[in-house]
Amino acid sequence: MKSTKRTLILLVALLIVAPAFAEKQAPPPGGTPKDFSLPEKTRFELDNGLSATLVNYGTLPKVTVSVRVRSGNLNETADQIWLADLTSDMMEQGTTSKNAEAVAAAFASMGGELSISTGSDVTSFSTDVLSEFGPDAVRLLAEIVHQPAMPASELDRLKDDMVRSLSIAMSQPQPQADEKLAALLYGEHPYGRMFPTEEMIRGYSLENVQNFHEKNFGAKRTRLYVAGVFDEKAMERAIRDTYGDWAAGPDPLINVPEMHSGRAVHLVERPGAPQSTLRVALPVVDPSNEDYTALMVTNTLLGGFFSSRVTSNIREDKGYTYSPFSQVSSRYRTAYWVQNADVTTEVTGASLKEIFYEIDHLRTEPPPSAELEGVQNYMAGVFVLQNSSRNGIVGRLAFVDLHGLSDDYLTGYVKRVHAVTPEDVKKMAEKYLRDDEMTIVVVGDRSKIKGQLEGYGKFAD
Amino acid sequence: MRQLRSRRVWALALLVGLLVACKGGDGAAVAEFSVPVEYHKLDNGLRVVLSQDSTAPIVTVAVYYNIGFRIEPQDRTGFAHLFEHMMFQGSDNLDKMEFIKLVQRNGGVMNGSTRFDFTNYFEIVPAHKLETMLWAEGDRMRGLAITQENLTNQQGVVKNEVKVNVLNQPYGGFPWLDVPQVAFTNWYNAHNFYGDLEDLDAATLEDVKAFFDSYYAPNNAALAIIGDFEPAQALDWVQKYFGDIPRVELAAGPDLSEPRQEEPRSGSRVAPKANRPALAVAYHMPERNTPEYYAMGLLDQILLQGNDSLLYQALVQREGMTGSVSGGINHPLGNMFNYNGPMLWNLSLYHDAETSADDILGEIDKVFEQVRSQPIDQETLDRAMVKMRSGLFDTMGGFFGFGRADLLASFALFDDDPARINALEDEFRKVTPELIRQTAEQYLRPTGKTVFTIEAGAQG
Repeated sequence: MKSTKRTLILLVALLIVAPAFAEKQAPPPGGTPKDFSLPEKTRFELDNGLSATLVNYGTLPKVTVSVRVRSGNLNETADQIWLADLTSDMMEQGTTSKNAEAVAAAFASMGGELSISTGSDVTSFSTDVLSEFGPDAVRLLAEIVHQPAMPASELDRLKDDMVRSLSIAMSQPQPQADEKLAALLYGEHPYGRMFPTEEMIRGYSLENVQNFHEKNFGAKRTRLYVAGVFDEKAMERAIRDTYGDWAAGPDPLINVPEMHSGRAVHLVERPGAPQSTLRVALPVVDPSNEDYTALMVTNTLLGGFFSSRVTSNIREDKGYTYSPFSQVSSRYRTAYWVQNADVTTEVTGASLKEIFYEIDHLRTEPPPSAELEGVQNYMAGVFVLQNSSRNGIVGRLAFVDLHGLSDDYLTGYVKRVHAVTPEDVKKMAEKYLRDDEMTIVVVGDRSKIKGQLEGYGKFAD
Repeated sequence: MRQLRSRRVWALALLVGLLVACKGGDGAAVAEFSVPVEYHKLDNGLRVVLSQDSTAPIVTVAVYYNIGFRIEPQDRTGFAHLFEHMMFQGSDNLDKMEFIKLVQRNGGVMNGSTRFDFTNYFEIVPAHKLETMLWAEGDRMRGLAITQENLTNQQGVVKNEVKVNVLNQPYGGFPWLDVPQVAFTNWYNAHNFYGDLEDLDAATLEDVKAFFDSYYAPNNAALAIIGDFEPAQALDWVQKYFGDIPRVELAAGPDLSEPRQEEPRSGSRVAPKANRPALAVAYHMPERNTPEYYAMGLLDQILLQGNDSLLYQALVQREGMTGSVSGGINHPLGNMFNYNGPMLWNLSLYHDAETSADDILGEIDKVFEQVRSQPIDQETLDRAMVKMRSGLFDTMGGFFGFGRADLLASFALFDDDPARINALEDEFRKVTPELIRQTAEQYLRPTGKTVFTIEAGAQG
């Protein structure tokens, strides 16, 4: 192995010249780990199917309230791309009792802002306010989600804004790459449609928006999360009083995609680009699969953190790139693994060579146990951080709920991470990171990179 | 190994933080929040701030060096930032990659960043790894071991950073690199902080050594420790790992002063990859820590922060000229607390070619004229105060202690007074509607305005 040889040479060199160096100090190991337990949660369900999860956390006098609805781009048809987003934008324009300005002022008076995020599976309506306003925030969010005014007067303005956002996104290389990748992996499924056309946006009517809201919002699709410092009794009362009379509405839409991937190079032209934007990806298992944790450990070791192999190689050794990273991107019952990197145009081919070298290396040789242990400690530490903020706590709980996981997903997480062996990592790489099925997307200057990409797969476009 | 000497530690102040709850008007408890601040100075000049928070079993270690990009050498633009990368490339006892691996394999995260007036390095680790991190930070404050190979490697990395964030982006560098270059006249405040690629290439190992020797010394740094730890124990470790690092003779800094702006300024560039025009407006800030400075903090809330702000309501909600307006004091590189020199309050937005920049500027001027000509109503001021307070709480308690570390280290470095953190709320409370009006009149005056526009060079 190339890297082993290099290490040996280094070792020999060190032995010869060692007396010239002062002996290095070893870092102090630190003390005994302090206990960490997940903050306690209270959960209850209303008769209409809406569930609420409350977590008293921390001492800072603030509280996060997040209403999450199983509605998003998944619920759009092929000619409705971003209709879910436009619906969210319209819901920000006031309720049946308050106009948009009054809503904005009401959130601000509580020390918060309304933050709406429209995703593939879930649309969330969140705010983070001073503790004394917690129940008020719960009530105001209910109005936004349940009784939006949807004023016709605002529609054209929001469509103009949306067209502008679309146009700006499409002038950036990363969205160009992500759009291509999604289309390749997910095909005709809604997950494969990242961006609409301008004409499509222009065509949306108030009726389209109202119908989308009516069809996709309701108690059974809604989960409410509260985390921070608050009075639990007052909070529960506010939730029951405000959300209890919502109609049950539809169940969440289940539409699990069939994924596609094949080894090929997909080049998206970006004339004069000083960098190539790379995506190397293929379908993997989602969080409900028993291999998921071991796969996450494998991903972290390969490209998921700064000390990872790919980052060490193409950044810290070669200087080809600034912030490469790999990840497992999950939606309901589907996921893909992807290595991302923006590399200098002249080393596009060389970067792919190193990425595949690292993948193949992991598929043929288990990692040293010290390296794996470092990854496991890192993941355990990050898990503590993820569960040590209001937002993080809500995010983790919502993740477990969306993917239909048991409480054990969180309570047993650190243990599962530590149980992964070097052999498991090699097995995961072999089983899931099949380099002959990797979809490769490159956004860059075709005239400078086409030649460099020869040999990495057939050119698909 | 060097001899570790025990040094006397000078305790400046000890404040105990309390969570106080009192009854609000509506019967709900209105909480207040203050943070514990313990401040020490080692004999070698290192400023040390300790602040306990046992919410989670984690600890944040942050080292701030009093070297920001504005005072980097004139023929080495971007060097302060390139140097930040050098701090991860090896020290006496930690080779390249070993610092980062040490943090990560102990379950922590870390980063470094270069700003107007400091370069910072921080780690957030499980609480029982505090000593490990203090040792590591001490090791690289003591001295670096950089090779030409590592320098060349990081020149490549930094050039890629500039490419991914600036050169391959449609608006790259807008507004944060563009606006100071027009709004300021003193080179130190007005150069390309990311650096010209030629200057980055020209950097040598001698430059690295000279820079380290000039700025990376204990008497030019502040260390903040936030989280779940015992202060006495932590201070012993600080003494052990930093106490014998020698102080250096610090050269007098360059003159950073900006002359008062007497005429409006403007700048523009064509962005070949952009398909929509963009616009930024900036004004010079009042001097730090003056009554006008705090008034400007609240004016920022009133004018620009949140959807209730006057500019959002005018430009987005009513006129539909743009989808959002972003900006603030020291935006987007920091906040109103973590700088020490001339600074801008700026706003920026993206718009369509059909909406002229002049029309947008006219609408912005109307809003400014409103706050210049009459005192704001008390309700609006109260709301601004609630927003400010809520944001301050997040800064003091958010991002796992880093927000608090950032304030404490900045206040130690710039004011020699980290306990200021608990006095901020009162300073904002002193602001009256009339002071807001006077501040707007004086600092948002037409002659003090800078406008920067991006012309879209692509079709879309």
